[in-house]
Amino acid sequence: MRSFPLRSALTILTFAAFLALAHRLRPDIGGPTPALFASLVDFRPPLDLLESAPEPLRPLKITPVRDLQDDAGALDHFYEALWRTEKREPGAVTRILHYGDSPTTADLITGDVRQMLQQRFGDSGHGFTLIARPWAWYEHRDVRLSASGWDIHPATHPDLRDGMYGLGGVAFLNRGAARSRIVLRHKDHTRLGVSYLAQPGGGEIEVSSGGLPLGRIQTGADSKRPGFAVFDLHPPAGDVELQATGLVRVFGIVLEKDQPGVVYDSLGMNGAFTTVPARIFNEREWAAQLQRRQPDLVILNYGTNESGFAAYVGKWYEQELRLAIGRLRRALPNCSLLIMSPMDRAERVAGGEILTLPTIPKLVALQERIARETGCGFFNTFAAAGGEGTMARWYEAQPRLVSADFIHTTPNGARQVGELLFRQLCQGLNQYKFRRSTQRPALARRK
Amino acid sequence: MVLTAPAFFVFLAIVFFLHWTVAPWRILRLTVLLFANYFFLARFGLWYLLLIPAAGTLDFLAGLALERLKAPFPRRLILAFSVVMNLGVMLAVRYVDRAPYLFTLGLSFYAFQSLTYTIDVYRRDVQATSSYLQHLTSVSLFPTPLAGPITRVGDLQAQFARKPALSNEQAGRALFLISLGLVKKLLIADYLADNLVNRVFDLPNLYSGFEVLAGVYGYALQLYYDFSGYTDIAIGAALLLGLNLPANFNQPYSSLSIPEFWRRWHISFSQWLRDYLYFSLPGLRSKHKVFTYGNLVITMLAGGLWHGVTWNFAIWGLLHGWGLALTRWWQNWRGRRPPTSNRLVKLLCGLLTFHFVCLTWVFFRAQDLKAALAVLARIGSLTVSAENLSAGILLMMALAALGHFLPNRWLASSIALFGRAPFFAQAALLAALAIALQFLAGAGGAPFVYSRF
Repeated sequence: MRSFPLRSALTILTFAAFLALAHRLRPDIGGPTPALFASLVDFRPPLDLLESAPEPLRPLKITPVRDLQDDAGALDHFYEALWRTEKREPGAVTRILHYGDSPTTADLITGDVRQMLQQRFGDSGHGFTLIARPWAWYEHRDVRLSASGWDIHPATHPDLRDGMYGLGGVAFLNRGAARSRIVLRHKDHTRLGVSYLAQPGGGEIEVSSGGLPLGRIQTGADSKRPGFAVFDLHPPAGDVELQATGLVRVFGIVLEKDQPGVVYDSLGMNGAFTTVPARIFNEREWAAQLQRRQPDLVILNYGTNESGFAAYVGKWYEQELRLAIGRLRRALPNCSLLIMSPMDRAERVAGGEILTLPTIPKLVALQERIARETGCGFFNTFAAAGGEGTMARWYEAQPRLVSADFIHTTPNGARQVGELLFRQLCQGLNQYKFRRSTQRPALARRK
Repeated sequence: MVLTAPAFFVFLAIVFFLHWTVAPWRILRLTVLLFANYFFLARFGLWYLLLIPAAGTLDFLAGLALERLKAPFPRRLILAFSVVMNLGVMLAVRYVDRAPYLFTLGLSFYAFQSLTYTIDVYRRDVQATSSYLQHLTSVSLFPTPLAGPITRVGDLQAQFARKPALSNEQAGRALFLISLGLVKKLLIADYLADNLVNRVFDLPNLYSGFEVLAGVYGYALQLYYDFSGYTDIAIGAALLLGLNLPANFNQPYSSLSIPEFWRRWHISFSQWLRDYLYFSLPGLRSKHKVFTYGNLVITMLAGGLWHGVTWNFAIWGLLHGWGLALTRWWQNWRGRRPPTSNRLVKLLCGLLTFHFVCLTWVFFRAQDLKAALAVLARIGSLTVSAENLSAGILLMMALAALGHFLPNRWLASSIALFGRAPFFAQAALLAALAIALQFLAGAGGAPFVYSRF
């Protein structure tokens, strides 16, 4: 036994004793427990090496309409508009504004719903898009942006005292000779709207398409107010260019087509809280922007960022959401409002397990109650996607449906979420049509 | 049983005590190690208890035949059989339908290690062993089938032939390396993977070009710390049993050229490719240099496809092959002039090499070619913002970069210092580290990147 390394053996035994002692004092510290020894003879393959058999993305099961709550007919205005669009009535354009946080900033989810709705009900254009990237990952599907010379002010970093950030929550201030070029994949748009701030001492915006001038916008005015200039586009219109001189603030452009269909504006702001529409936006200016846009449905899809702050959710979130809804109601009394919950948010805890943040179910329940009490529709994305543990399941899926931050969906995951919302809206429309068809005879008899 | 799991260390401790108790008796020592090897493999699937002994037995018989036969043709035939069998096993567990779900551990490292034996015996570089027990123990030595280091079976058999010994310095070195490996893997590699790399490679379009570039740098560091962390644990575990495994890394990102990179990165793999593939290709002694360049590209392409038969790994291998060939051409054209001593030129060479390696890592890491191109396109967008690079990520990247470039002598002094410390101090340090890791390493020990190959 002369070869036996006694000193090393003593080190190992003492190390085990130290760990056992630590475990005894604090049971959350792992030590040499009987369970650990028993796990040695567990011959089941390790889960982390045993990849699940890859399966292609399957079409989602048609989820029951209960994930879209609309008990009091909160979405009737929207369904009525969508029905007219479906019937291809002249001028029947259904406009949807989707406010959200980072999962939508790159036009993920929103771009998918837009595509599905436009395939189903008709395409009335790209809708609203910003004129430069406030965040490097800002995207609007089928639109390519290049810009220079703008000072970009997103409402998530509020530094404009007047709070005038436009419809999309981002203001672009001319720094000298700012310009933007927006290249369009679909060249059949017939109308271009430029959203800007009319202000004292305002400069000029030169608007062109395909190298040909469309017109000039003089942004000077007696006082600050939202301005909106509309130009006719002559297809094929492959691009739009804006060139600013002087004191100019631009909020974005709107591209539409003269045909019945759906326009779906993606208004995702990176890092946004409900506080942005509730407090940071200048209420009068925002109301004017909303009224100008004439939406049939406004979706408020916040909560991901709030869920990281449990105390905020417990104490302040309700007040903020009610404020935002109140502002929308005052601006658009007849428009349908839909509160859309976050899909899920998770974190990896010690041991490697991916668990839903405890604040998520609380926040979703809060949103549901407030939606009911304020006459809004409510889409429970969290429940529709699978409820607790969705992030873990979607992370393990092949192909992966969510990113490793357990916050954002991958393009495949975004498509799934988009499809969930799309299907529920279509089912809601069917129910609305059914309800209307059963109401009409009674109305007729009353006459 | 991944090498960071607590169960592995319980297993290692049990093997350690059993091994050294019976160490004076060679047969008993080999029996304990063989049992440990098969126990370790069985934890990845009981099928390995059939496959590995069968493959090991056939290679043992092939070795005996190669030793005794003189005629070239039957010797070539036997070698071909061994090559086909080992590569067949390696490919079968990966690509036969459903096999990856029965055999959760890839056998690439086992196959490469096992082939060193039959090829060396064929070349008469080593003598075939007549000890069946020793052969089975050597080819399946338990830390190595997971992800290397690829150890020549001849070297292991020579070590088994010697009387085992473990000095205090060696034991201290072993424990230090295991601890260092855990820190590298659980604290650095997993942190970078969870908080930066996986996110960027999942959704490059959600990040600016600058952040994606940081993600690629992060992956370079993650892969180094992941794989070298694993290697440190494997080398330390073997050393606790009195066995020396070859080094696998030597500050690879300080390389000034691609050939130097391959002398510092995954050394046992690059040496295997050189000794057993590159030297076996035709045209090695041809005066036409084009054969040399072509063989370099073929060798690295094979090395790429060894990781997986995908376009991404093929491109990764081809890029490295072209890099090696271009450097060789440059060296031939330049002649035997001494390397430059100009620091600025050295710095530029180092940066160029590092960025070339990072470019290849994009293909190595991305899920498919489309994803790799999306990452490169995002970097090419030249958009700059750092909102997603938290102070924690930047600090970890800085620490990781610093740790990579620390002089080797500092590591050697630390190991020596730890080895001289009294046993209770060593134990206290190890316990403190184990407890700290439990609190700091949140990922719970993700699998090693190379364990899937």
